[in-house]
Amino acid sequence: MADVVTPPTARLEQKTAARTEDAVKIYGKGQTEVRALDGVSVEFAAGRYTAIMGPSGSGKSTLLHCVAGLDSLTSGRAFIGEVDLSTLTDQRLTILRRDRVGFVFQAFNLVPTISAAKNITLPLLLAGRKGDQAWIDKVIDITGIGDRLEHRPSELSGGQQQRVAVARALASRPEIIFADEPTGNLDSRAGTEVLTFMRRAVDEMHQTIVMVTHDPTAASYADRIVFLADGRIVDEMREPTAERVLERLKRFGE
Amino acid sequence: MFTVVLQGLLQRKVRLVTTALAVILGVAFTAGTLVLTDTMSKIFNDLSAGVYKGTDAVVRARAVFDGPMGTGKQRPLIDASLVPALSRVPGVAAAEGNAFGYTRLIGRDGTAIGNPAGGAPTLGGNWSTVSALNPFRLVAGHAPQAPDEVVIDKQSANLGHLAVGDTTTVLVNGPPQRVRISGIAAFGTADSPAGASVVLFTTPAAQRLVTAPGKFSTISFVADPGVSQQQLAGNLRRVLPPGTEAVTGATVIKETQDQFQKFLSIFSKFLLIFAVVALVVGAFIILNTFAITVAQKTRENGLLRALGASRRQVLASVLIEAVAVGIIAALLGLAAGVAVAAGLKALLGVLGFGLPAGSLVLSAQTVTISLLAGVGVTVVAAVSPARKAAKVPPVAAMQEAAVGSTGYGSKQRAVVGITILVLGVAALFTGLFGHVGSAFLIVGAGVLLVFLGVTVLGRTVSLPLSRTIGTPLPRIKGVTGTLAQENTMRNPKRTAASASALMIGVGLVGFITILASSTTASINATIDRSFTGDFVIDSGAGMAGGVDPALAQRLNALPQVAAATGERFGAAVILGKVEGFTAVDPGTAGKIFNVSPLQGSISALGANDIAVYKNVASDNHLKLGDTVPVVFRDTGARTLRVALIYGDSQAAPSPRYFIGTPAYDANFFAPHYDTMVFVKKAPGVTSAAALAAVKKLTAQYAVGASVLDQAAYKAEQTKPVNQLLALVYTLLALAIVIALLGIGNTLALSIFERTRELGVMRAVGMTRSQLRSTIRWESVIIALQGTFLGLVVGVFFGWALVLAQRNQGITVFSVPYVRLLIVIVLAGLAGVVAAILPSRRAAKLNILQAIVTE
Repeated sequence: MADVVTPPTARLEQKTAARTEDAVKIYGKGQTEVRALDGVSVEFAAGRYTAIMGPSGSGKSTLLHCVAGLDSLTSGRAFIGEVDLSTLTDQRLTILRRDRVGFVFQAFNLVPTISAAKNITLPLLLAGRKGDQAWIDKVIDITGIGDRLEHRPSELSGGQQQRVAVARALASRPEIIFADEPTGNLDSRAGTEVLTFMRRAVDEMHQTIVMVTHDPTAASYADRIVFLADGRIVDEMREPTAERVLERLKRFGE
Repeated sequence: MFTVVLQGLLQRKVRLVTTALAVILGVAFTAGTLVLTDTMSKIFNDLSAGVYKGTDAVVRARAVFDGPMGTGKQRPLIDASLVPALSRVPGVAAAEGNAFGYTRLIGRDGTAIGNPAGGAPTLGGNWSTVSALNPFRLVAGHAPQAPDEVVIDKQSANLGHLAVGDTTTVLVNGPPQRVRISGIAAFGTADSPAGASVVLFTTPAAQRLVTAPGKFSTISFVADPGVSQQQLAGNLRRVLPPGTEAVTGATVIKETQDQFQKFLSIFSKFLLIFAVVALVVGAFIILNTFAITVAQKTRENGLLRALGASRRQVLASVLIEAVAVGIIAALLGLAAGVAVAAGLKALLGVLGFGLPAGSLVLSAQTVTISLLAGVGVTVVAAVSPARKAAKVPPVAAMQEAAVGSTGYGSKQRAVVGITILVLGVAALFTGLFGHVGSAFLIVGAGVLLVFLGVTVLGRTVSLPLSRTIGTPLPRIKGVTGTLAQENTMRNPKRTAASASALMIGVGLVGFITILASSTTASINATIDRSFTGDFVIDSGAGMAGGVDPALAQRLNALPQVAAATGERFGAAVILGKVEGFTAVDPGTAGKIFNVSPLQGSISALGANDIAVYKNVASDNHLKLGDTVPVVFRDTGARTLRVALIYGDSQAAPSPRYFIGTPAYDANFFAPHYDTMVFVKKAPGVTSAAALAAVKKLTAQYAVGASVLDQAAYKAEQTKPVNQLLALVYTLLALAIVIALLGIGNTLALSIFERTRELGVMRAVGMTRSQLRSTIRWESVIIALQGTFLGLVVGVFFGWALVLAQRNQGITVFSVPYVRLLIVIVLAGLAGVVAAILPSRRAAKLNILQAIVTE
């Protein structure tokens, strides 16, 4: 089991899992034009847990969507590994998401008609691959819902549903996982469960996570926080604690 | 409230159109049928008014009885000597005898013109020399003067490539005649009277060849100036011999028009049945669409309620929407119906029922019925969803919409469904087997109840059906297959409703397929069992005419032929009931037909004898040698003796009674025609040699008749069944198309509900083609579910009707597996087609918008 979860190479830690170069995203035209991203260049290191924070409308979700290949940039470039997303067709982009990226959304992560187990392996099933069974077993083990695998999502609690969503993101052993407010709809206990699970995925399974959140406690689980305001990166924080984050956020109000 | 509804409607234009389409098609069918029948009615009324425009009175024999199968009043011919006698009656300006009957013209290429067995009649008559009585107008040549000169109608001249001066053949009473075309005539503005082919001789020639020498069919009169039709008819009545009657020209016009109306009303009822089917299927679509939109608008309706709208207002809002959809759909359907009528009119022209020119008739009644049908169906279908909408509590505005709450079939529902089903089956069997009045209506109600029962039960069986039908999918298509299967199971109520619409169409297709296949199998089995001959000569004239009886006699003289008998149709009142029957040659028929004689024999059938089927004999307590009272058209009341009681009604020349040619010749005056001639070859002669000899003789006596061997005869006999089948398939296709629209509509609405879920699946790596495939297979499962239920119902209906018709000639119950398999495969493909638009739209979905919605 141990060799299965060993990271492919030690040097991966220094590699960049995803990055943007001068990313600009403009919504609307003329009078109603909104610059959601205004020249963002950022790197997300492999094997690290990065949080993106910022006030409402700062562009944090847009950044996540664009670097994850769910949305396209107006100008600038976004990379997963060394792949420039703007060069891909919808078909290739879909396959890239399926094979190399994991997603956790705020809500409605799961397909209601299939079991938790099938939801976890959905990207693998869509790819027509078996996947690494030992890896999947390990993922499920950490999830802690092994006894509820055959249940449908509607029969699981909110926290359990989100843990299944994280497990799905992990199952295909992606290069990077994007999480958009994964605890936004959960109470604090369930939120803690999900966050702990994500932290363990980084520490024990050497996964890369980029998470958008507005909750200082959630952000404190990350290795690094990138602060956005008005579509630009305004600050960064390493080894954060909830108090320091709260302190930093207060300054946005000024 | 009203403006809120209308604005909502306009915002959902596309949905409106697809919803309305179901109603539009049903209304179009209804309106099309009504417009077509009104138009045909008007054209024919004008036509018959034109024919008798100059006729003030008609003298004819009194009707002896009403002929069977709509053959009309049976009147004998009248003496030609009445014409000079009646010409002297006061008030008569002109009198002329009419001789008309079956005749068939042979075209330049040697084939007979027209199809009297299934299309417009082929008639012969005399060219009227009284211009007021002649509806024809010469367009070329001159009137017939010599016995071998004829005027033909312009349509026949065109079809047969015949011109003035040409010589050709006509089939008449007696041997075929060579004639010269002296003229070509139009019929008013038309080329022919309602598509009929007409050959007009001189009066003596017409009497000799079409009716009988010294006899007329009727006599027409023109009144002196100042003498009314009533006065003229009254004057004539005073001097008429017994057994004849005088009627005014107006009466004849009315009689002719009424007879056509009768035919037309059968025709329009037949078409309207399919229009009703289309509307019922449409109602299902409306119901489903409204149910889904109401479920999706739960929050919106909750908000309306929270803002102070009453339940009644919410109910009204849905019903107003239904009325608006209904009115728009009915108006569009009406417009489409007029176009359909124009198309059908053109189609009838192509099929040889050529209609004279005339614009389409759009009556106020058509408009009213179409609007009522369209609006009525829509509103009735929307009642249950509207009531559901009214039950939405105000608090729903604040709650996450529990969209598409799954309604699994409750036990209560199953009980209701089974009750309706049992009632329907009971009604069906009562109508089919109960010997009750208005059986047709009871059967119709039974069919409707069965469909309704299966629909109600559909929700209960939908879940296991979806699971079963979808079972192979996960194995074939992997996770997309699983998702497709699960999607059909997530809301069994909706799946069942979609499938039900298709179930009705497929049910009727299955039924008619089984009925046709059983009828064909029965005809084939009967021919195998009963017809021991080798060839059949088919005149192609149906019951209207046939070939010269001399042909059968001459065939019997051929050394290659062991036996030949003609078969003629007749009608008479037997034991107080109008019966149709046939006559065969007692000398030879016994060698060709295997009628399973119980007492007596075919050869015993003399001029005063009749053969009776055993059940008819026992019902009427008839034994061999008993007498039977018969009223003939030409010879009146007679008494026939039972000379044969036979045991096989299907194998006999006709099912209940038949007679020998001596009795026919004694009681039916000329003209005589054999509709069919049956031939058995002599032993030791090869089929080819016998066929050649038979064909040679047939070519002389019956130009244009076909000589068929047993296989070809079977094909000929079953051809009408297959033609009817094709027609019914075409008419049912509309109901199926509507049902498919419904499946497409349901899918589109469901996809709208699942936007977020689809977004997630696309985000985690489902490709567009995988998404399309999921929706496509979901559609296929729904389609197959409807098809399965439909075929079960259809096979049951087919079985019940075949059972009920056992004594009417359908003796074999045949399930055409290959054809039904084709239906299933086509239904699957139709499911694929229905999914095209919804799946495309789903695949184009913007992932991000789908996920972040709300």
